[in-house]
Amino acid sequence: MIGALSRLLDPLRGAGRHAITVPPMDGALQPNERLEEAPLVCSLASPDALTLSGPTALAASNSKLFAFELDAGAPREVGAFAADIVCAALSQKGELAVGLSDGRVTFRRVDAGAIAPSPLSDLAQFSCPTALAWADDGALFVCEGSQTNPASEWKRDLTERGSSGSVWRVNPGGEAQRLAGDLAYPNGVLALPDGSAIVSESWRSRLIRISADGATDVVVDDLPGYPAGLARRSAGGAWLALFAPRSQLFEFILRERSLREQMMREIDPDCWMAPALRPARSFLEPLQGGALKQLGVMKPWAPSRSYGLVLALDAQMRPEASAHSRANGLRHGVRSLVESDGRLIVASKGGDAVVSLALDARGGFA
Amino acid sequence: MSETPIIEMRGIVKLYGGVAAVDDVDFDLRRGEIHSLLGENGAGKSTLTKIMAGAATATRGEMRLDGKPVAFATPAEAMANGVGMVFQENSLVPSMTVAQNLFLGDERFFNRLRPLYIAAQQFLQSLNFNVDPWATVSSLGVAKKQMVEIARAVRQNARVIIFDEPTASLTPEEKHHFFSLIRRLKVDGVSIVFISHALEEALEISDRITVLRDGKLAASDDRAAFDRDRIITCMVGRTLSKDLYRKGEHGARKAREKVLSVQNLSQGKMVRNTSFSIYAGQITGIFGLIGSGRTETARIIAGITKRNFLHGGETRLGSRSVRYRVPREAVRDGIVYVTEDRKLEGFFDTMSIAENIGLNYIAAGLNSGLVVRTGEIVEVAKRWTRQLNVRAISADAKIVELSGGNQQKVVIAKSLAQKPKLIIFDEPTRGVDVSAIAEIHQIIQALADEGLAIVLISSYLPEILNLSDRILVSQKGRIVEEFRPETATEEKIMYAAVH
Repeated sequence: MIGALSRLLDPLRGAGRHAITVPPMDGALQPNERLEEAPLVCSLASPDALTLSGPTALAASNSKLFAFELDAGAPREVGAFAADIVCAALSQKGELAVGLSDGRVTFRRVDAGAIAPSPLSDLAQFSCPTALAWADDGALFVCEGSQTNPASEWKRDLTERGSSGSVWRVNPGGEAQRLAGDLAYPNGVLALPDGSAIVSESWRSRLIRISADGATDVVVDDLPGYPAGLARRSAGGAWLALFAPRSQLFEFILRERSLREQMMREIDPDCWMAPALRPARSFLEPLQGGALKQLGVMKPWAPSRSYGLVLALDAQMRPEASAHSRANGLRHGVRSLVESDGRLIVASKGGDAVVSLALDARGGFA
Repeated sequence: MSETPIIEMRGIVKLYGGVAAVDDVDFDLRRGEIHSLLGENGAGKSTLTKIMAGAATATRGEMRLDGKPVAFATPAEAMANGVGMVFQENSLVPSMTVAQNLFLGDERFFNRLRPLYIAAQQFLQSLNFNVDPWATVSSLGVAKKQMVEIARAVRQNARVIIFDEPTASLTPEEKHHFFSLIRRLKVDGVSIVFISHALEEALEISDRITVLRDGKLAASDDRAAFDRDRIITCMVGRTLSKDLYRKGEHGARKAREKVLSVQNLSQGKMVRNTSFSIYAGQITGIFGLIGSGRTETARIIAGITKRNFLHGGETRLGSRSVRYRVPREAVRDGIVYVTEDRKLEGFFDTMSIAENIGLNYIAAGLNSGLVVRTGEIVEVAKRWTRQLNVRAISADAKIVELSGGNQQKVVIAKSLAQKPKLIIFDEPTRGVDVSAIAEIHQIIQALADEGLAIVLISSYLPEILNLSDRILVSQKGRIVEEFRPETATEEKIMYAAVH
């Protein structure tokens, strides 16, 4: 009885599920400078959609596709598309699926770093592809971030508290099956050998497992940022990129409907109080990198809008270690990453850099 | 220094019911020296000093003050002769203010309160003790009560002051002030008897050290003749240092699943938007000075006190947001809190061990059936007293009859009987002797090895450094720093706690 009354008061008290809180970055998420200090592989404007073809990496920069060797990495343009590239996935047979900001998923053949046309037809039924992954049986998992906003409007989708996302499985024959719906911006997918997939649901800050029959269960909950790309980890588990941090300020704004609507109506999206991929470059933005500085170090719980964070998840998908670029760093907005031969290649979209993190013999950060 | 000791005791024997608490002990205290008296609980330290201060009388033996035989019948008589004692047990009047306690016994027929409070404030400030003279003693925490006790003894201008575990509840910073104070007293010619379980303190402050074991004199020598290992060997008759601070055999334990996530928790001015996580299979040490909000945070988690009514933050147990109104709800969710003040909150001291453990067992709803069977309770109590090696004549023994270390083990047994998955230990070895510390540390380590989530709140840095798999530092109501044990040092932790 008292519990029920208490829950009725929760919206007024800011308690229970109405609490304006964010989880701490501690334990395995203890801040460090790994990502900020990682050696540069190559500089590229807004790199994203990172994939690997042998020793050659492919990365998107806006509407263009670049290839570069991991050891000597001057990027060379290998393709251009009609719209910005949002996501990409390369199959073992060399089929490159590319999700574009106009909603299409198109295909190319990749052979020794060269791009050629593919016999596969474009998929036109999507409006906001955000992540792609090939299953072992040749099917393609497609994350549809939102039905109402394109990928370039992700900030609006978050501010609107959108949950119209879905995950699809496109069989080799081309028929598409919706596995799960009502998702809050699925933004990364990892296909598992048993036919299921791990999906990062950005706006709910969690990872879910979607089985082949569409059943979903939560794998990791209450992450301190917005999860995006997932990649297979050779030591078991997965690598996860979180493209921006959660903050109490923005959690508060998300709960204030009229404030959100007025902000969206009257203010330029670049100036919204919302997560960002890039560190601030304007003195007009006082909050980024503000708050506490202790021991000469900017504390990670400063209300920063952008951040760089990569998590190593163990076989149970629990965070095991992390690499950070903190509020005062530059390598923010990591959306895609891939492991290759004892190192983790990370594309920092906000830092215009592709960097390499060395791994130790156990598959953790060296 | 004069050649004649200010206090000289020869062949002191004190029998309780035919058992010798002190057995033929010689002890002398020189003018202007700091003399540490060490030993395990039950070694006879407190009894010997109580005889010195008139709180007990010797069965046999002779005591001389300034070379003249004396036998004090009461503490007041000892004080009149310049011998004062700061007792381990609290001897303040809880319903009176700090200032009234300081001047207790010195009142005039008509008192003006304002000068009394001003004098009390000036005196406390001169000792660097941050205690409000207007506060009633019952509203003070353990540490501040201890400060008032110390201040009262110093104010009475005693020539000999006996401190029985004065630093047990002080923070490192307050200990620093306290040591400055007793060094100042020493310069003024006051002789100090210093009883402590913290051996580092005795080694730091003493001119001479006397060690008692089982009521007998084990060693007495200048400070230079002792090191930590020798003291321990004299105290317990064997080397304990490896057991005392046993590092995890394979370094820091790996975190398992996240058990608890404290997010932006707030309570008045004590807990301010603090956030941290606790993992299963790990000991998370929390260090901080008094007033840093460690205990208050722990008590909110355990449902003992409440967070702010409005926007007080969130505690997540697993993936569930929880807010406990009473401790029983937390206990039933597997969260238990082992109090820092065992005498006040840890047990019912006139009840037996079995009754105490049984109460917690029943409170957790673990008893089978609607009717509580005495046999079941006794069985549970026996199992835990055996597992934790509680040394008592029987499970029927009353808690008050046990030593500090065994009392603490009963408090831990009470918590473990509730089958917790998260245990918060708040100063678990405060006022506990050296061999019991080793046993309690082993218990804590074993619980973490079994996969329980452990929170260890301690003001004792070696304890934090050697037991913790992660170290969090609390300052001004929030967690300000996290250290891995391999990179943490006392200096780094203290810096984070103060700055």
